[in-house]
Amino acid sequence: MSATTTSNEDPKFVIAEMRQHILLLEKSVNSNESRFATRAIRGTASIRKRLNGKVLGAAAAALLPKDAVARLGLARFTQSSDMDVDAVAADAKVSSVVPEIEVYFGFLTLLFLHDSAANAHGLTFSSELVEYIQKLNRRSLDQLSAKIYFYYERFSEIANRLAEVRPTLLAALRTATLRHDDETQAVLLNLLLRNYIHFNLYDQADKLVAKTTFPETAGNSQSARYFYYLGRIKAIQLDYTASHSDLVQAIRKAPKNPKSAGFQQAVHKLAIIVQLLTGEIPERSLFREPFLLKALVPYLSITQAVRIGDLAKFQDTLAKHTATFRADKTYTLILRLRHNVIKTGIRMISLAYSKISLRDICLKLQLDSEEDAEYIVAKAIRDGVIDAVLDHENGFMKSKENVDIYSTNEPQNAFHQRISFCLNLHNESVKALRFPYAQRKEQSTMDALREEERLIAGELAEGDLADDDDMGDF
Amino acid sequence: MTRCPTHHHKHHQHLLLLPTLLSRSPPTFTAILTKPSLSSAVALFETLKKDFSAATPDLKKCGQHLSTLKLHLTQLSFLQPTASQKELLLTREILELGAQHAIKSHDIPAFERYISQLKTYYTASTATPLPASQRQYPLLGLNLLRLLAQNRIAEFHTELEQIDPDQLGNLYIKHPISVEQSLMEGSYNRVWNSKSNVPGEEYLFFIDILMGTIRNEIGSCAEKAYERLPISDAQTLLYFKSAKEVTDFAAQRGWTVSGSSIVFVTQQATDAGKLEIPAPKVIRDALSYARELERIGEFIRFRCIVKLTLWFQFNLPSPITLFSRERNT
Repeated sequence: MSATTTSNEDPKFVIAEMRQHILLLEKSVNSNESRFATRAIRGTASIRKRLNGKVLGAAAAALLPKDAVARLGLARFTQSSDMDVDAVAADAKVSSVVPEIEVYFGFLTLLFLHDSAANAHGLTFSSELVEYIQKLNRRSLDQLSAKIYFYYERFSEIANRLAEVRPTLLAALRTATLRHDDETQAVLLNLLLRNYIHFNLYDQADKLVAKTTFPETAGNSQSARYFYYLGRIKAIQLDYTASHSDLVQAIRKAPKNPKSAGFQQAVHKLAIIVQLLTGEIPERSLFREPFLLKALVPYLSITQAVRIGDLAKFQDTLAKHTATFRADKTYTLILRLRHNVIKTGIRMISLAYSKISLRDICLKLQLDSEEDAEYIVAKAIRDGVIDAVLDHENGFMKSKENVDIYSTNEPQNAFHQRISFCLNLHNESVKALRFPYAQRKEQSTMDALREEERLIAGELAEGDLADDDDMGDF
Repeated sequence: MTRCPTHHHKHHQHLLLLPTLLSRSPPTFTAILTKPSLSSAVALFETLKKDFSAATPDLKKCGQHLSTLKLHLTQLSFLQPTASQKELLLTREILELGAQHAIKSHDIPAFERYISQLKTYYTASTATPLPASQRQYPLLGLNLLRLLAQNRIAEFHTELEQIDPDQLGNLYIKHPISVEQSLMEGSYNRVWNSKSNVPGEEYLFFIDILMGTIRNEIGSCAEKAYERLPISDAQTLLYFKSAKEVTDFAAQRGWTVSGSSIVFVTQQATDAGKLEIPAPKVIRDALSYARELERIGEFIRFRCIVKLTLWFQFNLPSPITLFSRERNT
């Protein structure tokens, strides 16, 4: 997102909006209600697009006392404004502010630095901010600090210094866990997992997951990410069923808007491969979704190859899209699909022929030798892929008559799987429900509440998950 | 350090004598070990390297030297990426030699330990990156094969992810990868053949272990896939050298041998098992459905209560008054 807009909007409007947010933050500190702070942070999405060095400088001069500006060292990044600062500052000269406001300004500065690609500045400033918030230790800062940590990690990633921030993040996670700071905890866990997975340190990521609990109250965007990482770790460790259910959760929790398209594509890519590895074939309609259509083309041909058990087509696709698959970090998983392709091929043959020589199987599946074909078919029989008998002396495979699937326990298992999915869905929806504040009676408060609700809904539609596209590639 | 040289000297001698007492290595070797410094470690390592590269190395003696050296290393900055580059390189080489020694003396746990220590040096984010080691990929490939031989497939894949994608075509890495693929497909023939094209003789040690695993795999497949199998064919299928080995293997797995062929009877027993109704599972599932349904019912009741309270709170006509009004009219 390049937000260095050239619009010549009067900074006054932006500053007025910032003042609104500052009021909200103060209200949040005074009333101990975190939802006001949440609203202020959510509102930054609209400010962000209009930020530039001048606006930031003017706003800092108008809204922050001088010593706070000096403490944060904001002058490094802002331009002295040619606007009459005193005129703005005169009507509300502030002598002291709560630290939340300072950190809020720090956050805005980080956004500005990120969007204007001032990465070196961003790295130093974000580490200073992290130090500052750790020194402050205020519960009312929790939501803001989660954001600060996010950009701290992001800047380090851009600077390719991810390995160095790990100790800081781990220490911060420990502190956040002890203080029940759910928001920061969720963000930090995701950042650490991302950090480990970036270096392919799956065993360390797995250990981190095993030793921590993800806070249940975390927002949807954070839990979507967490489930995605979980799914990835489990897929590497061959636990495909668990991985698939995690990825489905991630897809469901991810917001459905164009801003998070990158995340959704990444999850879908992984989910398709994992689903294929479990032996299922993804829905065709999935590949027609407009925002997935283009990204999933290579995956579609892989799916087709697996579905019909065509080994040659599989190898072709793999060779053609190697670079894409490597970039998506799905290459090694796709390599594992090879034996699924063979399995499907054997199943097709077993359905079509009641008796076939091993030599023909070998030719049809393009295997190295008849001996190999024999072992492979024997393994397929043992794994329950097909129901057949081998005759070694005469060198053929004889398929047994198809058993009526309804005489087995298979339908019961499928039934159970579906019911538990529905029940789980229901339970989660119940958990997500919110009830109105029942104790307020007066009409005027009700109106105010409704107004607030409407505002929140508007902001939600506008600025939800604004930072999703800051993540870079998944 | 210079303040009290005698005391200092004594202290280290005490420490360094410990392994010599334990391992009773020749005194000439420990004579170099008067003071733990980088140069003495280098000297020690050179002796070891010479011993180890002999045509038929005395493995026991080398092992003793290695443990002395490792003790020596702990007094330098062992396993810390902050050490000087020279020291890091030396430690890496010692550990690599240790891993090779462990393979030669068939000590798998020791090999595993060396590899996990080595990984610090292969992936360390030091200030100046170390030059790549020639032995890195041979050793990592061996480690992959070890995981396969021990049937630790999940760990195999975790390790594989850590290898630089550009190195997947590396001769030493490609071998275990193709072995794993053949194993998964069931092309045991190819695993057997891979014995002849191993990238290094150390690989054979693990391939041999792997063959034992594969034999059991083939055995369990054969049980399900064949109704009967002539002993001579079983011999080729299971890669045995004589019919005697086949009958031994058959006895071990509980197969019946009638005449010149093996008859598998396990087929029917499993079929009978399939038809059974899994009662405990059905009961457990049904109970969980009941509990969930109960919860849903409760939730609906709870919603009714909330609705009623809201009704009263906002002074709306309550359902009862509505009802009475209806009666009046």
